[in-house]
Amino acid sequence: MSVKIEVMRERCMGAGNCAEVSPDYFDQDSIDGTVVLLRSDVEPGDEHEVETAADVCPVAAILVKKTAASV
Amino acid sequence: MTPTGQTEAPAIKRYPFTRTSPLAPAPEFDELRTNDPVTQVELWNGNRAWLATRYEDIRALLHNPNLSSDTMREGFPQANATAASFRGGQRVFARMDPPQHDEHRLMLTADFMVRHVRELRPYLDELIDNFLDDMQASEGPVDLVKVLAQPVPANIITRLLDLPPEDSEFFLERVNTWMSLEVEPAVSAQAGADSLAYFDRLITSRLESTADDLVSRLIRERLLTGQLSRAELQHMLGLILVGGFDTTANMIALGTLTFIQHPDQLQVLLDDPSLLPNAVEELLRYLTVAHHVAYRIAAGPIEIAGRSIREGDGVIAPLMAANYDPEVFPSPHTFDIQRDARGHLAFGYGVHQCLGQALARVELQAVFGKLFQRLPNIRLAVPENELRFKDSLIYGVVALPVTW
Repeated sequence: MSVKIEVMRERCMGAGNCAEVSPDYFDQDSIDGTVVLLRSDVEPGDEHEVETAADVCPVAAILVKKTAASV
Repeated sequence: MTPTGQTEAPAIKRYPFTRTSPLAPAPEFDELRTNDPVTQVELWNGNRAWLATRYEDIRALLHNPNLSSDTMREGFPQANATAASFRGGQRVFARMDPPQHDEHRLMLTADFMVRHVRELRPYLDELIDNFLDDMQASEGPVDLVKVLAQPVPANIITRLLDLPPEDSEFFLERVNTWMSLEVEPAVSAQAGADSLAYFDRLITSRLESTADDLVSRLIRERLLTGQLSRAELQHMLGLILVGGFDTTANMIALGTLTFIQHPDQLQVLLDDPSLLPNAVEELLRYLTVAHHVAYRIAAGPIEIAGRSIREGDGVIAPLMAANYDPEVFPSPHTFDIQRDARGHLAFGYGVHQCLGQALARVELQAVFGKLFQRLPNIRLAVPENELRFKDSLIYGVVALPVTW
């Protein structure tokens, strides 16, 4: 099982909750404050943190996807 | 209908509800959440509006693109006549819908982003230490609202907009009157007009400024380029002022009161200061000071909780009702700084969620960190039942006399 993050930047309103909750994965663009994904592969043990970041996003711009690991 | 005027259905409830305990939401929210989670209420002018009380419904509504924030729409619901007087005619993104909302909001987001506002922490720590030094130099009691709760956000906003610090007094008074639900409509409207006139003069004085403050940059990059009208910029600065002042000031005063009322929770925090960020989230949830925001109007049909909302219907999605939903926050009436409160809606939800929330968090963490570390025995200097609370757009306490 691998866990990946996708962001829909066009939805982002720069509330910054993701960067607050999970700063190892999310930052904000210096020009308009919208989401910058620092890395999309979620390390084992960080799943709860990134799922919280996705949940608290007020515009549902973050997707956390679980997929079967490629062989 | 009967000629005697009797009705068979239960009487429609009048909204806003009245609190029965100063810091707790009105009991009707809990009752409705169980029995009638999306219901109709009657407003001050006899109009009806939908009222939601469950967390999931409130989040879904505030995220629904068919729900408009545009107060210019016919039938937009308001808390009372005073709220109607100050909330009509605002040309600001808080009252716009996408896509224009997004375009305007994103002009400000970089200045309020997490990384930038965290850089304010050393300045804030020093500022707060100075206020606490002054406090401790006096014999007490002091009014915490005047010596700490208002000055902290006032200094931050005047720094952000590069305003003369002596103008704070004017702003505090005008914003309080503007946002109050207890003054006459004309008095509130005048306070709003005075604040906007101040910004009009400020814009004039900085038209040729090459400085790097937010106002000068907005003039250069947005006003002079034609992206914002002068009125829009005036209202945008007014929103920063209103959003940054009263909200944080009331959170500081009511947050202090909450810890005074819960000495066990204060002890937990003093024993483990790393709980501070979590404690601030729980305070935001528990107090939900923005108790009269999240009024909307349907711009298209919405289906929610088995109800059909039609275009033109007023909709109210109280943040406080969401933050006390026991499905999401077990034992919601318990103040517990160790719970995970991060999903709270104290800053709202959807595209209008508070722009300044990272700044609010930095201010609150700095204040409560310093305050309780330096004055762990802080207590009320008057009996609790003598405290007076403000019925304003944002909930607050008029004065908080404390000793230590």
